Amino acid sequence: MPLDTSTYDLALLRVDGRRWNELRRLHGQIRTQAAADGSSYLEMGNTKVMCVIAGPSEDAGRRRAGMGVSASGSTAPGGSAAADVVVSIVVGGFSSVDRKRRARGDKRIQELQATIAKALASNLHVHLYPRSTISISLHVLSQDGSLLAALINAATLALVDAGVPMTDYLVACTAGSTSTHSAGDEGADPLVDLNTQEEQELPFLTLATLGATDKVAVLVCETRVQVSRLEGMMASAADACKGVRKFLDQVVREKGHKMVTEGAIEKGASMAMDIDV
Amino acid sequence: MPREAEPSLNERAFVTQALQEGQRLDGRAFDQFRKLDLRFGDQYGVADVTLGKTRVLAKVSAEVTTPYIDRPFDGIFTITTELSPMASPAFEVNRPTETEVLLSRLIEKTVRRSNALDLESLCLIAGQKVWSVRVDLHVVSHDGNLIDASCLAVVAALRHFRKPDTSIEGDTLTIYTPAEREPVPLSWLHSPFCVTFSFYGENGEIMLADASLLEEQLRVSSCTISLNKHGEICQVAKLGGTAVEAISLIQCASAAVTKVKEFSTFVDQKLADDSRRRDKGGLLAELSAENER
Repeated sequence: MPLDTSTYDLALLRVDGRRWNELRRLHGQIRTQAAADGSSYLEMGNTKVMCVIAGPSEDAGRRRAGMGVSASGSTAPGGSAAADVVVSIVVGGFSSVDRKRRARGDKRIQELQATIAKALASNLHVHLYPRSTISISLHVLSQDGSLLAALINAATLALVDAGVPMTDYLVACTAGSTSTHSAGDEGADPLVDLNTQEEQELPFLTLATLGATDKVAVLVCETRVQVSRLEGMMASAADACKGVRKFLDQVVREKGHKMVTEGAIEKGASMAMDIDV
Repeated sequence: MPREAEPSLNERAFVTQALQEGQRLDGRAFDQFRKLDLRFGDQYGVADVTLGKTRVLAKVSAEVTTPYIDRPFDGIFTITTELSPMASPAFEVNRPTETEVLLSRLIEKTVRRSNALDLESLCLIAGQKVWSVRVDLHVVSHDGNLIDASCLAVVAALRHFRKPDTSIEGDTLTIYTPAEREPVPLSWLHSPFCVTFSFYGENGEIMLADASLLEEQLRVSSCTISLNKHGEICQVAKLGGTAVEAISLIQCASAAVTKVKEFSTFVDQKLADDSRRRDKGGLLAELSAENER
């Protein structure tokens, strides 16, 4: 049942009481799974995802078909010169309001997997791990909009935990527009970090940027929107990405600080980043 | 699992350096498409698109079925893509590659999710009988830019298609053969077209339209934008790859707007040509037994 968002004009408040440029409550944890090489848990409002990383490891099981979608760098004869990034997404049947059993070969999920794998593969320094696989498994526990964005952010956090070198945080956020696709009103506001209700009602896009820069790694829009509206939506999504990056960085630093004070890291072990929380 | 043969290091270096110097292998400008041709078959709803050496074939068919239980008023519309081994040795039957999944998702998002076809008009008796329209897309030859060619083929085939006329009297539904009543076109709301851009260079600063297969293999990232001639975006997909400046994506969008207008007039004109070819000059001319001498 679509929800009436036409009241936005009255108080400039969204259905959940946010302003146009406000993110939902973000909560993140890293190193949640002791056994994994890297792991994270991320909440963006009521969207909750978990990420577990195995690798970089030798690619023994690489040829197994149907394990997910991989993206690799240039391949040289006799084994790949760069690590394969393999992403698999599991959407919990309990994650949305109506319990739906999804086929394993769901094209939407396969597309998400390919998107995340390709985006991360170009951001990570995969050439440092020839003939190996980085396997990223993402679990969707609860869905409330901005799913792709949450998955990308969680994967970034977990990769930081796994210690895979990367150029910068790959952060993502959604942005929408307050008017429907047909209306040509110029006064329409962009909105950031949409929830399910807003996603169903409004045109929106998901944008992933490379950390501090404004470079766009992923841009996905699946709804009809006037082309003139694109620039505004992209600009506000990029701004929101900066906020998300700040948050992810804070999560990493807090965890690092905690590990140092608790003595989880040996004294004198070289730390690439200075911990200044 | 067979894979596409990768370009050699020499080819790689040659193409990339040529691009840096502002040249493409086939001498096209960066934003220039290859020669585009669209032909319709003798039957309604068959479109054959050639774009350079890429060739795709779309065939539309319709049958009457029962609707989905949760959507009693909507017809059924499916698009199936088939990348046969004929097009490229990398494709296998019954095992969709990533290319095929992404292609079919993109076409689906562009044509189906943007409501190009009015599904409610396909309803015959609510909850009991609806038209099920099916588009089969076959890639006959693969030389890059399958997405743009396929989308054009699907849209052209659907607009060319005619479904049998029907009437309802009381509880009886009559479907007329083409001989009894002229078949009717689908109720078509807008025509979306895809335009794909490929990016090259360290930071994706070089932007090409309509990449050939070799160029596609060497690109660092790509972006597909679907629009209709009214300037409405139906779908944007930049699915990973090297990060590019936001401004070049905006440039892509505005370049796509003009290109889509060209596509739109091209398809309109081809459809008009075809209907002129089919039109024999009314019923009297059709009934005439006179032969050409």
